[in-house]
Amino acid sequence: MTVTPAVEEEEEKKPTGGFPPDETRLGIISAVIAVIITILLPVLPAVIKAVGVIFTLLWGADSVRKTSKYGLGTGVPSIGVLAMGYGIVGAILGTAFASKTGYAAGALGGVLIMGGVGYLSGVMSNSEKFIGMKIPGLERGMMELGLAGSLAMLLQFSIVAGSLNFDVVMDKAISTGIIALLFILSCMAMFHPYNACLGPDERRPRTLMLSVEISGLLCAILGIILVVTAGSMWEVADGVSLVIFGALVWLVFYVKFVKAAMREAYSVVGTGLIKTIE
Amino acid sequence: MEPIAMLFAWMLLIVFLALIACMFEDLESDTGSQSNPNSQVQLAPQVGQVHRFFNKAISGEAPAYAMYCTIAGVIAWVLLSKGVHPIMAIPIGTIVGEVVHVIFATTAHLGRTTAQKRFEQPIYLDVLYGHLLPIATHGFMATLCITAIAYIQSNLGTLSGLPELNHPFALPMLAFIWGITVGAIGSSTGDIHYGTEREFQDRPFGEGKRVVYHGKITRYAECGIRTQKDIVGFCVKYGGPCTGLTFGLIILFENWRTLVGMIAGNYLPDLQATAGNMAATIGIVLGLMIGIALTVGNVVIVRWARKRYGPFVGE
Repeated sequence: MTVTPAVEEEEEKKPTGGFPPDETRLGIISAVIAVIITILLPVLPAVIKAVGVIFTLLWGADSVRKTSKYGLGTGVPSIGVLAMGYGIVGAILGTAFASKTGYAAGALGGVLIMGGVGYLSGVMSNSEKFIGMKIPGLERGMMELGLAGSLAMLLQFSIVAGSLNFDVVMDKAISTGIIALLFILSCMAMFHPYNACLGPDERRPRTLMLSVEISGLLCAILGIILVVTAGSMWEVADGVSLVIFGALVWLVFYVKFVKAAMREAYSVVGTGLIKTIE
Repeated sequence: MEPIAMLFAWMLLIVFLALIACMFEDLESDTGSQSNPNSQVQLAPQVGQVHRFFNKAISGEAPAYAMYCTIAGVIAWVLLSKGVHPIMAIPIGTIVGEVVHVIFATTAHLGRTTAQKRFEQPIYLDVLYGHLLPIATHGFMATLCITAIAYIQSNLGTLSGLPELNHPFALPMLAFIWGITVGAIGSSTGDIHYGTEREFQDRPFGEGKRVVYHGKITRYAECGIRTQKDIVGFCVKYGGPCTGLTFGLIILFENWRTLVGMIAGNYLPDLQATAGNMAATIGIVLGLMIGIALTVGNVVIVRWARKRYGPFVGE
């Protein structure tokens, strides 16, 4: 019986331009886009906000990948769920701040607090005095998860409710139960890519395509929800354009992913027997 | 009809739907090897055992089912609020949920198989296409039942003539909660194929397994190469119904104790707020009693099984 020899860890090549940008650049781009869209221009149509959602979720998926890479492959979903846990708390805090202070920029407070909490939990997990996991980059990963989760949730609140006013968000996104959908699909967009591509031959660009694909699905479903909850000045156009945009993004990245996977697999066969060992 | 009789009737309908839902959920997770045998499918190529299994790694079952059920619930909720009849709205929502399920299933299988490139695991297209329909159909049954449960619960009061008894949570939220529950139960119960190590049943309880045997469970069936369809056939006799029974009993005991508590505490049928505390207390005490009875029953059964069947002696 032949047992495949143990695989040596390979140093990952740094991506050189193109899709997707490296971690730091991706983080900065996503954060800037999301902040501009959520805070400075809350009256934009949902499609523009959806672009922000896609970028922040991509950032989150990259952080999940980075954080989970040191594990054995278990616990990837938990990291994504943790990120959205931070996200929901941060977004609700953010909307509360925004309503209390009267400035839309107050929503950033929740995001920053969750970034701090994430950093703190990363430090505590790594520190010898507490858990002592010693995972390289965990502090930064957790902080990014907190930031990305909160920003993604804020953007989705503002798509569904049409504003970041606490009462409106409560009324349209939380007591209707839509928050369950926002939570679970954002989780999926963060952890499903790495969870589904797990293995020694996982490749970053291919993994991240999946995140964009799921964000596209999320946008399409959000568009359908807008039929009921629409509250912005764009009315029906908001929902319809979001559905079309989401479906297009989904289709493009789904086809791209399937093609990439089939191209990079060991082989693609119509049918066949398994390799005999004995 | 009397509201109390109606409440009990709806409760029994929910129990029946839960039984069907969890049975199909368990069989669906067998079709996609999401729970049964999950880690072995991932491990097998790494020890040289190339296989013809579908690797449906959509996280754990609990978040995955939460997702399908929430999508189904949200779409149904949108349609209901636009005045569509529930008998149309719930299946349409479920179809959308299952479309998403199939999309996730393909990406998970392709992604994981491609990531096993260096172990020479090919993508078998017949495995990919051949499993999507069973996954979608089993998943449809499970999601449909869960969405129906969520609909009935969120409108329970209106349906039985006491509108005050409507569930405080909205339909999508209930679908989310029941989705997580059905996934968690399906993932922990009824995995008789892998959970009891089908091909290692002659080992004493709790014995570990040498690494060379890892992944063997994915290779050959009684006749020919094993695929998940063999596993579904194996599990449908006991594993699936057993899982359904678990979820059905949980819902039955939970609702039964609440209703009996409400009646015994004189909360029903007049809905007097003063009787609320008494009703809750009786319900909690009844629940504790059921819990104790189940624990004792379990201990007795396990003792009896170990004594009766014990470790297998002799090869």
